[in-house]
Amino acid sequence: MTQPNEPLPDIKNVSRPADPLLEIKDISKVYPGEGKSTTVFDDINFNVYKEFLCIVGPSGCGKSTLLRIIDGLDSPTTGQVLFHGQPVTAPSPKIGVIFQTFALIPWKTVLGNVEMALQATTVPKDEQVKIAKKYIQDVGLEGFETAYPKELSGGMKQRVGIARALALQPEVLLMDEPFSSLDALTAENLRQEVLEIWRDPVYATNCVVMVTHNVQEAVYMADRVIVLNHRPAKIVDDIQITLERPRNQRDPAMFDYSDRIISKIS
Amino acid sequence: MCPLRSSLSIRQARYWARGSKPRIIRTIEGLVIVAALFLLIVEVVVNGGLNSIIKNGLTPELPLFAVFTLGRMTIAYALALAFALSYGIATAMSHRASHVLLPLLDIFQSVPVLGYLPIVFAIFLGTGQTANPFGLQIATIILIFTAMAWSPTFGVIAGINAIPADIKEASHAYGLRGVRYLRQIVLPAVYPELVWTSILAWGSGWYLIPIEEYFPFNGTPQKAGGLGQYIAQASANSDIASALFGLIILVGIIYAIDQLVWRPLGARAEKYKYESTAAPRTTATPRSGVSEGVRRAEDRIVAPVRTFYKSQRSIVTRALEVVRVTKLLHATDRLKFPERISRIPFWGRLLSYAIFLGLVAFGLELLIAPRSESILNALTVLAANVTAFQLIGLTLFSLSRLVTAYLIALGWTLAAGILIARSQRFSRWLVPIFDIGQSIPATALFPLVVIILVDPFRNTPYLGATLNFASIILLLTGMQWYLLFNIVGAVNSVPNDINEATKAYRVRGGRYVKQILIPAAFPAILIGSIQAWGGGWNALIVSEYIDPNANVPGLGSFLVQASNIMNNPLLTDVEIFAALLAMTATVLTINRLVWRRLLRKADRYKFEA
Repeated sequence: MTQPNEPLPDIKNVSRPADPLLEIKDISKVYPGEGKSTTVFDDINFNVYKEFLCIVGPSGCGKSTLLRIIDGLDSPTTGQVLFHGQPVTAPSPKIGVIFQTFALIPWKTVLGNVEMALQATTVPKDEQVKIAKKYIQDVGLEGFETAYPKELSGGMKQRVGIARALALQPEVLLMDEPFSSLDALTAENLRQEVLEIWRDPVYATNCVVMVTHNVQEAVYMADRVIVLNHRPAKIVDDIQITLERPRNQRDPAMFDYSDRIISKIS
Repeated sequence: MCPLRSSLSIRQARYWARGSKPRIIRTIEGLVIVAALFLLIVEVVVNGGLNSIIKNGLTPELPLFAVFTLGRMTIAYALALAFALSYGIATAMSHRASHVLLPLLDIFQSVPVLGYLPIVFAIFLGTGQTANPFGLQIATIILIFTAMAWSPTFGVIAGINAIPADIKEASHAYGLRGVRYLRQIVLPAVYPELVWTSILAWGSGWYLIPIEEYFPFNGTPQKAGGLGQYIAQASANSDIASALFGLIILVGIIYAIDQLVWRPLGARAEKYKYESTAAPRTTATPRSGVSEGVRRAEDRIVAPVRTFYKSQRSIVTRALEVVRVTKLLHATDRLKFPERISRIPFWGRLLSYAIFLGLVAFGLELLIAPRSESILNALTVLAANVTAFQLIGLTLFSLSRLVTAYLIALGWTLAAGILIARSQRFSRWLVPIFDIGQSIPATALFPLVVIILVDPFRNTPYLGATLNFASIILLLTGMQWYLLFNIVGAVNSVPNDINEATKAYRVRGGRYVKQILIPAAFPAILIGSIQAWGGGWNALIVSEYIDPNANVPGLGSFLVQASNIMNNPLLTDVEIFAALLAMTATVLTINRLVWRRLLRKADRYKFEA
């Protein structure tokens, strides 16, 4: 089922028409409400390949819910998600998740939080510690292994979240507004680092799905942007961002993309 | 996806959304009431219990008794409310006063409520054979007050402490001062806490009712007139039917008050809550009504206790800071920080102990002065009759029973908490059952336990064993609910993002229980334990002594026996005081040595707001 380990290109770019990693088919989500039920989104269809995909949309359009359905944390009202052709019903160790609010266990150390992800795998115990330590080092938290989340800054906490996701060496990385709980400077640094990690052939992860409401962030980071509109949300645009990497935030072409996306949302 | 399933879940969720209870819960509530009625009917039909209810001379008085009991509760509550507001506002508004008032409050609420009973009776009834009926009524009201006063006071303090700094600054900037500040800022801020803690206070009041309305003093039961007296007297006559009948009426009244008074007040309280500016919950996952309800129950029980302990500071850290002179600058700097304002200095604690002991001595003096005895004389009498060794032994006996009951309670409530957290279906079944179970004042069940576990074994060699067993069961009824509701509340309030992360990283089954649920419940277990032990000490006094022929050695039975010594009133008085002081000292020691120390450790197990 897994993709053959082809030599990675210099820049991981869209390799269509290869088989999609994820297929999102006719997904809809309905919440029962007072007397009348609310349709959050409806008729969502798209495929995800080896790429950096951003899903943008106004708040309340169900972006986060969509991401949770892709991971199997939530179930759609209708439709299904396929991962390598198999329906997703529960979280898989081949998919890592990064949360907006970091979701670190307060009574576990940095090491414990990263190890947590490995404990459900078949990796032997002593190996788990080694792997966890390696990824903590990779995200620049060496020396903080025994610290508790409470003692860390927001940016450091999210680094732990990233290390936890990467430690699984997942094929797909799901990120739910990973930078929106951070201050602007920290967010900017972390964006760069996530891009570097993604482009580094050392890491097995070459498919990222990120949810954000920050249009500039999406254009800056993504190969492809899927745009959702207001509730009940539908896909209103699916744009390839063909700009060269590394990208320049002040590139006029970036603003063209942003304008196009913003006009679709409102 | 299967359309049937989703439509079903929609329907269930709608029930919750409307705030009405799902049919299943109404069914369960119905079942519990039906079961109780069934017991009564069986008793009525098989044992001719109806006859005994009719023959019971007190049955026609029941409406009047209900009015008496309610009136007593209402007057005591009004007093408790006045006390809570004045004491609480004084404590929260004046920095210096809080240094003494806060620890003093802690000591007073550590005295088991039932421990006040013999003293108040002794003061108001004197030692004459026939009690003054007016004095008896005053005594019962004061006793209910001692049961009610403490938690609303903590609630008021917690409410004022919870006023956000920006609101304080804004009201200061716009010139809100004095009475206007009190009315527009303080009282609304206090309101939600006051409602929740008042519910607790009424619970403690109900707890006392079956005992203080029919308490053996000076060798004869003092009848104050009320539902509690009806129940207690019926079971003293081994009249199960009447006892059950009284119990059902009592629970019916408690339930009605809950529905008519506290529910609407609680709903209004939401308006006065400050929004927290915590990180937004990103998921749209709807929370169930059950978990919301449980969370609120937990909030109202836990918040005042937590706020109180937050303001406590260990003597050790304080001493360390004073010793390390180099850090002095740093320490004074930190004292300016608003959170430090209500920390208790050592002198404050010392002073509060002194005040407490002074009050105790004053109470003793008040008791014995009319008989022109001196405290010194009293102490000699005490020393001649009771040795310290004896008191310590009795304390240890009581402690061993309390520990046993506590371990049983902890075991089953933890299991129930885990079950509830793991399965929504279980929680739908269990929570309403617990809700009803908890609304029955444990003391009202005591007579029934006695009839089942003690009476059949009189004059058999098993009496000692069944008495100990009954005593532990009675302690259990006084302890378990605090643990249960705290634990259930905690396992239900594990934040969504943490739950999702554990699901995403497949932390499941035993690992989920061990690594997430139990640590997440740890602070709640501690707070529940503190409250459970409080309840346990209360239950102790009635659980150890049933009558002169049926009692187990311990501080509780010592206290009751002391109040029934006929020939030496001085000995009665000093023994009551000695038992009470021994109890309070034990409670305070355990709080200091065990719970407070653990609570400091529990900080790590709290989720960030």
